[in-house]
Amino acid sequence: MTIWEKLQAVDRRILYLILAVCVSAGLFITIEIPTDPDPSSRDLYQAIMDIPEGKTVIIQSDWTNSTRGESMGHFENLLRLLMSRNLKFVFYSAADPIAPQVARTTLARIIKERKDEGLYEYQIGEDYIDLGYFANAEATNLNMGIDLRNAWSGKRTKKAGAGEISIWESPVLKDVRKIEDAGMMIVVTASASIDVAVQRLNKKVSIGAMVTGVVGPTVLPFYQAKQVNGVAVGLKGVYDLEYCMANGVNLKDEDGNIKVLNKGGKEYPKITEGKTLARGSKYYGTLHIALILLILAVVLGNVGMAMSRKKPGAKRS
Amino acid sequence: MNFLQGSQYLDTGWFGVFSTLLVVFFILYNIARAKKTGGNLFIRRIAGLNAIDDAIGRATEMGRPILMVPGIGDLDAVSVQAVNIFAQVTKTAAQFATPIKLCCARATVYAVAQEVIRDVYSQQGMSDRYSIDSVQYISDQQFAFAAGVSGIILREKVAAAFLLGAFYAESLIFAETCNSIGAIQVAGSTQSTQTPFFIAACDYVLIGDEFYAASAYLTREPVLVGSLLGQDWAKILMTAYVMLGFLIMSAERLQPLAVQRIDEGGVSRMEPYEGEAKRKTASDTMVHRLFNPLITEEMNTIEREPNPDYEGEEEAANAGGGA
Amino acid sequence: MLQFLAQATPPETNFWQQAPGTTGLILGVVGAFIIGMLLFFGLSTIPTQFRRYIIVGFTFLAGLVFVLQYLWPRPINADFEKELPRNAVEGFGAWLGVAIDPVAKTANILAAFLLGLGIFSLMRVHINKIRRRAQDWGFSLILIVSSVIMAIFGFWDWNMRQFNDPEALLTSQENWKFANYVNDALFDGMYQQMDAAMFSMIAFFILSAAYRAFRIRSVEATVMMASALILMLNLMGALTFMWSGWINGLVESTGNQFLTNFDLTVVAGWLRANMQIPAIRAIEFGVGLGALAMGLRLWLGLEKGGVSS
Repeated sequence: MTIWEKLQAVDRRILYLILAVCVSAGLFITIEIPTDPDPSSRDLYQAIMDIPEGKTVIIQSDWTNSTRGESMGHFENLLRLLMSRNLKFVFYSAADPIAPQVARTTLARIIKERKDEGLYEYQIGEDYIDLGYFANAEATNLNMGIDLRNAWSGKRTKKAGAGEISIWESPVLKDVRKIEDAGMMIVVTASASIDVAVQRLNKKVSIGAMVTGVVGPTVLPFYQAKQVNGVAVGLKGVYDLEYCMANGVNLKDEDGNIKVLNKGGKEYPKITEGKTLARGSKYYGTLHIALILLILAVVLGNVGMAMSRKKPGAKRS
Repeated sequence: MNFLQGSQYLDTGWFGVFSTLLVVFFILYNIARAKKTGGNLFIRRIAGLNAIDDAIGRATEMGRPILMVPGIGDLDAVSVQAVNIFAQVTKTAAQFATPIKLCCARATVYAVAQEVIRDVYSQQGMSDRYSIDSVQYISDQQFAFAAGVSGIILREKVAAAFLLGAFYAESLIFAETCNSIGAIQVAGSTQSTQTPFFIAACDYVLIGDEFYAASAYLTREPVLVGSLLGQDWAKILMTAYVMLGFLIMSAERLQPLAVQRIDEGGVSRMEPYEGEAKRKTASDTMVHRLFNPLITEEMNTIEREPNPDYEGEEEAANAGGGA
Repeated sequence: MLQFLAQATPPETNFWQQAPGTTGLILGVVGAFIIGMLLFFGLSTIPTQFRRYIIVGFTFLAGLVFVLQYLWPRPINADFEKELPRNAVEGFGAWLGVAIDPVAKTANILAAFLLGLGIFSLMRVHINKIRRRAQDWGFSLILIVSSVIMAIFGFWDWNMRQFNDPEALLTSQENWKFANYVNDALFDGMYQQMDAAMFSMIAFFILSAAYRAFRIRSVEATVMMASALILMLNLMGALTFMWSGWINGLVESTGNQFLTNFDLTVVAGWLRANMQIPAIRAIEFGVGLGALAMGLRLWLGLEKGGVSS
C-alpha cells in the first residue's frame, strides 16, 4: 500500500482527532481579523441603526444552546446594539420551549456586563418584556399579523416596584397596538421559523434575520427579494456585525481609511458604548482553522485518489 | 360591489389568491381525470424510490431491522407524507417478516404512526408480527432525539435506514452513524438546507418534491397520481409567471417614468411625475402593483359606528390582563 | 356558536380567558381535563368503519377556518375593538380574526394530550427493559431517573418564579434558593452542555462526509467542489480582506475596472445570487406545491390508505 492509498483509507478517528486539536487550539487565540463584511450583514446593521428613536423592537428568539456557537453571538450582538441605542424590546420564542430560558440567561449576562461597565441597566417591564414561549409558530405569527393585542392577550409582565402588570400598560408596549407599530422584528433562529415569520409578517413589519450557517441559504431568497431587510448568516455574520459595530459603515477612522465600505450608501456611526468585538472575534480565528483543515482534507483526499489511479494496474473507484 | 368596499386582499392582492385557486383547480381537475383513467399516467423513474425494495431485501437477507425516521417536524403535511411512505415500506417488510423500528420525535406523529403501522400489519393479516416497540417515541428535544436514534442504530445494527421528513442538524448525525455500520440509506428532506448533507452522506436521496411524489410512485393510486400531475401543471404555471414577470417588468422598466407610485403613512397613490426624465423604478411597475396593491385614502377612511363595548385605551389595557 | 368561539371581551365575561389564581380558572382546567379524557376514550371506542368519517369531518372543519381566514376579504385599517362592522361580510371577517386563536390553541391542547401518550410509550419501553434485565438496561434506568428529577426541579423552579416572585428578584442569581440552583445545574450545567456537545459532533461528521464526497470523479463533482471551495474561502475574513486588497491594487495599477469581478466576495456573491438562490427557490416551489397538494388531499379527505385509512 503506497502512501497515497493509505491517504484514501485514512481512519476517520484520526481526522476527528486532528480537527479537535486544531479547533481547541484556535479558541485560545483572540485576534482582530480584518474582514470584508457580507452585504447582507451590513444591511442588517444599517436596518437596526435606522429604527426610529422610541420604537419598540420585537425579537423572536428561536435558538437553543445547541447552536450557541453561532446564535448566542447573534443574540448578544443584537442586545448590545439595541441597548446602546436605548431601544425597548419584547422577546418570545415560537419554535422551542427551551429557547426563552436560553434567551433569558444570555440577556441577564449582557445586562450584568453593562452594569459592570457603568452603563444603563435594562429593567424588566420598563425596558423589555419577556413573553415566554408560544406553541405553534404558524398560528402565532398569523395571529400577530391579524391582531397583535389578541395574539398576546392576557400576557403579564413583572415590573420593579409595580408587581405584575398587563404588558400593554408597560412603557415597552403602550404605543404598540398592531404589529405595524413596531420598529422592526428580528428573528434569531436555527430553524425554518424565519420562513414562517417572513410568509406571515413581511408586508406588515420590517424583518431582520440572524440565522445559523446551515439555515442561511434558505433566507437569502427572501433577502434578495427584499422581504427581509438584512441577514447575518452563521459565525461570519456574527463577526460581520461586530465589525460593523466597531467600525461603522462608510465611516473614516483616524487614518482616513474606511473599514466597512458600502459604495453609494450613507454613513452609519460606530457603537461607542459597551463591548463591540466579542464572541464573534473570539471564534472567528477558529473558523479559519477549521476551514483550512477541511480544505486540506479535501485536497489531500483528491491528490491521494489521483496518485493511486496513476499507479499501473490500480483499481478505479 | 358595495359590500366589499374598503376590503382588499391585503396580504397578497387578488393575484396571489387567484393563483392559489388556479393551482387548487389544477390538482382537483387532474385527480378527477386520473380517477377516470385509473391512475394510468406516466411518472418518470425516481432512483431513490427504486432503492426502497433493495434496501428491504438487504435487511431481510441480513436478518437485521429497518429504521424509519419521519423527521423532527410537528404533525403536518410533511410528517403525514413520511408516515404514508413508511406504511408502504412496512407493507413489504411485513411480508418478509423483517423487523422495523420507527422512531418519532413528536408525540403527535407517534400517535398517528403507531395507528398506521398497526393497521398495515393487520391488513396484511400479520398482526402477530407487529411489536409495540416497533414504533417508538424518543424525545421532542432535537439532540436528545439524535442521541437516542443514534444509540438504536448502533445497538440494533440496522441494515437499512429511511430518513424521510423534516430534518435539521440531526440529519448528518443519523446519516454518518448509519454509514459507519454500513447501513444502506434512503433519505429525503423538504428542508432544502439538509439536502446537501444527505447527498454527501447517503446512498439515495429524494430531492425537494420527489418526497411528495413518492407515495404516488409506490402505490399508483389514481388520487395521488392525479395530484402529482396537477402539481406539474402548477409548476408550468409558475415557470410561465416567472418568465412573463421577467419580460413585462424588464419592458416596463425601460419606459420613461410618467406616473409615479408614492407610499406614505400606509396610503399609496399614483401621481403624475414631472421631474427630470428618468426610467421607471421597480415600485412604479404594474408587476409590483400585482403583489402590492394600492391602498387608497378612501379605504383608510371608511366610517364605522363605534363599538359600544369598547371601554377606552386605559380600561382595555387593564382588562387585557387575564390568564 | 359563532359568538361563543370569538370572544374578545374582557376576561370576566370571556369563556377562553380567566384571571390566574381564580377558582374559575382551576375549575375550568379540571373540567376541560375531564371532558378531554372522556372524549379521548369515547372516540377510541368508535368502530373502525366510522372512524374515517369522523377524522375527515374534523379535519375539514378545522381546515375550513384557516382556508376562510386566508380567502375572506379583510377591511383595511378597521379596528373591531373600537368600531362595529358595517355589514355581514365584515362581521364574519372580524369573527374569523378573533376565532382563529382558540382554534389554533385547540391543536396545542391536542398535542399536549398526545405528549402524555408519547411519555407513556417511552416509559413502557424502558420499564420493560429494566424488568427483563435486557441488554444495557442501566441506560434505561438513567433515563427514567433523570426525567423524574428534571421534572421535579423544573416544576419547583417554575412555580417559585411564576407565583412567588412578583418583583422578579429571581432574575438575579444573588436571590436564588436551593431549587433554583439545582434546576440551573441540571438544565444549564448538564442538559444544555450535552445538547451542545451533540451538535458540535456534526463538525466531525461534516469533515468525514466532505472527505468522502468531494472527489474529482466527474465534471459535475468538480464543479461542485470548485464552488464549495470558493464559498469556504469566502468565509475566511482574513483571506477575503487580503484578496480584495490585492485586487484593488491591481485595479489601481492597471486602471482595468473589470478586474473587480474577481474579488472573492464578488465571486462568492455571484455564485450565491445566480446559482444557489435560484436553485433553492425552484426546490422550494416544488416543495410548496407538494405540501399544498398534500394538504388539499388531507383536508378534503381524498386520500385512501396510510394516514387517512
